[in-house]
Amino acid sequence: MIEKAYILNESDMDRVIKRISHEILERNKGSENLVIIGLQKRGVPLAHRIAANIEQFEGNRVQTGKLDITFYRDDYDRRIKSDIQKTDIPFDVRDKNVILVDDVLFTGRSIRAALDAIIDLGRPRTIQLVVLVDRGHRELPIRADYVGKNLPTSRNEQVSVKLRETDAEDSVILVEGMEDAK
Amino acid sequence: MLSKKSILSVDDLDTGEIMQVLESADSFMDISRREIKKVPTLRGKTVASLFFEPSTRTRISFEIAAKRLSADIVNFSAQASSLLKGETIMDTLRTILSMQVDLLVIRHRDSGTVKLMDSVVNVPVINAGDGKHQHPTQALLDIYTIKNHFNRLEGLKVALVGDYINSRVARSCQSLFEKMGLEVTIVAPAMLLPEDWSGFKVEHSIDRIIEDTDILYMLRMQFERQDRKLYPSVREYNRYLSLDMKRLSRMKKDSVVMHPGPVNRGIEIYDEIMELAKEKGNNILIDEQVTAGVAVRMALLYLVLGQS
Amino acid sequence: MKMENAILIKNGFFFNSRQNKIVPGDIYIENGKVAEIGKDISYAGEDVSVIDASGLTAIPGLIDMHVHLREPGFEDEETIASGARAALKGGVTALAAMPNTNPPADSEQLIKYILTAGSATDCRIYPIACLTKGQEGKEMTEMGILSEAGAAGFSDDGMPVMDGKLMYEIMKYSLQFGKPLILHEEDLYFSGPGLMHEGEFSTRLGLEGIPSLADEVMIARDIMLAEKTGARIHITHLSSSGGVELVRQAKSSGANISCDVTPHHLFFNDSILETFNTNFKVKPPIRSRADQAALMEGLKDGTIDAIASDHAPHLDTEKNTTFKLASFGTTGLETFFAACYTRLVSENGMGIEKLIPLLTEGPAKILGIEKNRIEKGHRACIALVDTDAEFVVKREDFISKSKNSAFLGLKLRGVVRYTISGGKIVYGKK
Repeated sequence: MIEKAYILNESDMDRVIKRISHEILERNKGSENLVIIGLQKRGVPLAHRIAANIEQFEGNRVQTGKLDITFYRDDYDRRIKSDIQKTDIPFDVRDKNVILVDDVLFTGRSIRAALDAIIDLGRPRTIQLVVLVDRGHRELPIRADYVGKNLPTSRNEQVSVKLRETDAEDSVILVEGMEDAK
Repeated sequence: MLSKKSILSVDDLDTGEIMQVLESADSFMDISRREIKKVPTLRGKTVASLFFEPSTRTRISFEIAAKRLSADIVNFSAQASSLLKGETIMDTLRTILSMQVDLLVIRHRDSGTVKLMDSVVNVPVINAGDGKHQHPTQALLDIYTIKNHFNRLEGLKVALVGDYINSRVARSCQSLFEKMGLEVTIVAPAMLLPEDWSGFKVEHSIDRIIEDTDILYMLRMQFERQDRKLYPSVREYNRYLSLDMKRLSRMKKDSVVMHPGPVNRGIEIYDEIMELAKEKGNNILIDEQVTAGVAVRMALLYLVLGQS
Repeated sequence: MKMENAILIKNGFFFNSRQNKIVPGDIYIENGKVAEIGKDISYAGEDVSVIDASGLTAIPGLIDMHVHLREPGFEDEETIASGARAALKGGVTALAAMPNTNPPADSEQLIKYILTAGSATDCRIYPIACLTKGQEGKEMTEMGILSEAGAAGFSDDGMPVMDGKLMYEIMKYSLQFGKPLILHEEDLYFSGPGLMHEGEFSTRLGLEGIPSLADEVMIARDIMLAEKTGARIHITHLSSSGGVELVRQAKSSGANISCDVTPHHLFFNDSILETFNTNFKVKPPIRSRADQAALMEGLKDGTIDAIASDHAPHLDTEKNTTFKLASFGTTGLETFFAACYTRLVSENGMGIEKLIPLLTEGPAKILGIEKNRIEKGHRACIALVDTDAEFVVKREDFISKSKNSAFLGLKLRGVVRYTISGGKIVYGKK
């Protein structure tokens, strides 16, 4: 893999997440009735950071959960995952405004699966999507409500997101590589 | 991912794979606790369950497991006695496979028959019990129940009590429990043991282990599989092998009682204990075993179908 | 004198029964008999079939003293004719036909029928008559009339005589006729619904066991009865170490007893049952590794007098079913020599000169029938074998009507290239 471009560094990322947090509060007129669900695995720390920002700005803590979409994937036949990660949503999503958080938006298939998974838990009032990077190449009619960085890519490029919670550093790098099926 | 196409025996899984089944079962346990107890994972897959021996709980457990994974499941039940010759069994199998099923769940009255059927089909097979041979999903749900309760497996002492010789559950549990680091004692009289039990730790009376065991696993007395009457009387059975209130009170504080069901009340376990088991917060895990059964079978369906 | 079916076997080796060893030599056969044995025999003439036996060894035609030909009654499994052809392919030129046909061979007419049908084949068929009427274990057969009709021995093979007193009476009466009593030893209460040897593997596989005791208590009973009566008894298909030991002791105390073992009991042990392959479902069951070793030992020290195939043909529908429902038995005629040679000579280092008598003189002596020796003046019954050649046992190669062989898929050493019976080439390239 060849690194092609440095997209976000630590302070960029911090700014972007703060900006998104503000946008969420603005659009939802505050933090009441909000819950945040991070997609396993890098959506989970991002969800926590947004929740922390909101707490800092508004003074109240919104509930967060984590979601694993393995059982909702549409490519079960091709890639079975045996290390199923935890789904832990310790609250009722019914009539909530659900902020769904993922790191990279690509084909849209993971988000499709996540929407089904959330709806199986109850009927939220809205589901809004946060992504750190939107790299294009959608295969389904899905768009993000909050985007950290729009990044036009070619299919054989990859977006490598690292977070200090999972990877010991904060960075987004564009790399040359095989087509990623994400 | 599992290395074998089919699960015919507990020996078809290595320890890593067993842990994988147990961990996956955790996720499926969560799903079973939700309001919408269903995920679309196996949408479009067809599972056929073929039961050549009467069964309710295992068949229903598999059925619920398949349905919660959105697979379609069809049930075929036949008395083994009405299918006397192998031709007919093979014909039945061919007929069902011609309908494009993706997985077979098979139970048969005769040992080895599930293996025989597996050898002639190219779809995966899960053994739901064959004769006195194997019942791998029962042993897996039992180890899952134990792991959930104790949060560990290594070093736990388990006693398998009763009709060892006629029990596929005993064989499967013994081998799986030992593989997972439990210490297994068989409690049975000579006529319910194999001719050569030199490799086993054996006691003849429940009183010898009752105070020291972590898991008292009561085996069902398999009257229907006994070729001749092997025990003098129920009264004699009660004397050495049954669990009554007095014996229950002698058990260690954090120990548990298990049974693969259905219980012969008054033989393996006394009535009043079965009544007690209905209340919450006791250490009789019979209902927990049934609940775990669905999650473990979901995990197996998921993992087995995932390789095809 | 016109030469009839003259055969010259050249450039090969043969088994010299007197010297008890394999030696080089040509064999000239004329008028059904061995006419000359020697070096570089040359007979020119159109009437002489010459076999180039380079690399081959001529051994006496084998005698299989335990064969189920299924006729009359089960002709879909085997007939006297098809069984005889299978025998000849296996180098067997004489065999004893067990009486558990339908109806069982308990009458003069049936013995004569089998003899007549047998004489139409190129294999010598020696009928064995039932010990008890209908093999029911209740009343003894007309042993005198049956002997006179041509029964070579008596057996209720497959259905042991559970009534000890009846067996005692049979033994006493049998002394009058001098025919051996060939005993399938099994206590039916011990064997019950058993499917395989009772031991570690039956426990693990959940298959009902047949303990060694099932054989042994009956062997012990019959030895006691034979010692008391002086009867000639032959224990067929010995399977357990305890059984070998009982016969060994009985022989050393002077009882008139002999015994045989099958190739499959020598070849396999009960671990093979892990496949649940119904071709390994036989009676007595294939027993443990220790029993297998004891059988080998019994052969080596002379306790066991003969090897017999217990050729038991069954239809596919009887074998291609659950282990519990499948019939007991494996075929054995066509693999007879190869299985014995592979197991005993190739794998266990037994000399071939020790093996051959177990397949020829041993059974001949027990049945009191002609020994197939390769000697001048003897009836020419000879198998020409290639002991260097190997083959894989394949279903499509069997000429028996049934294909239920425990040896299917195995590579065996020792190929029968030609069989000569009564001075005729009855198997192999002409």
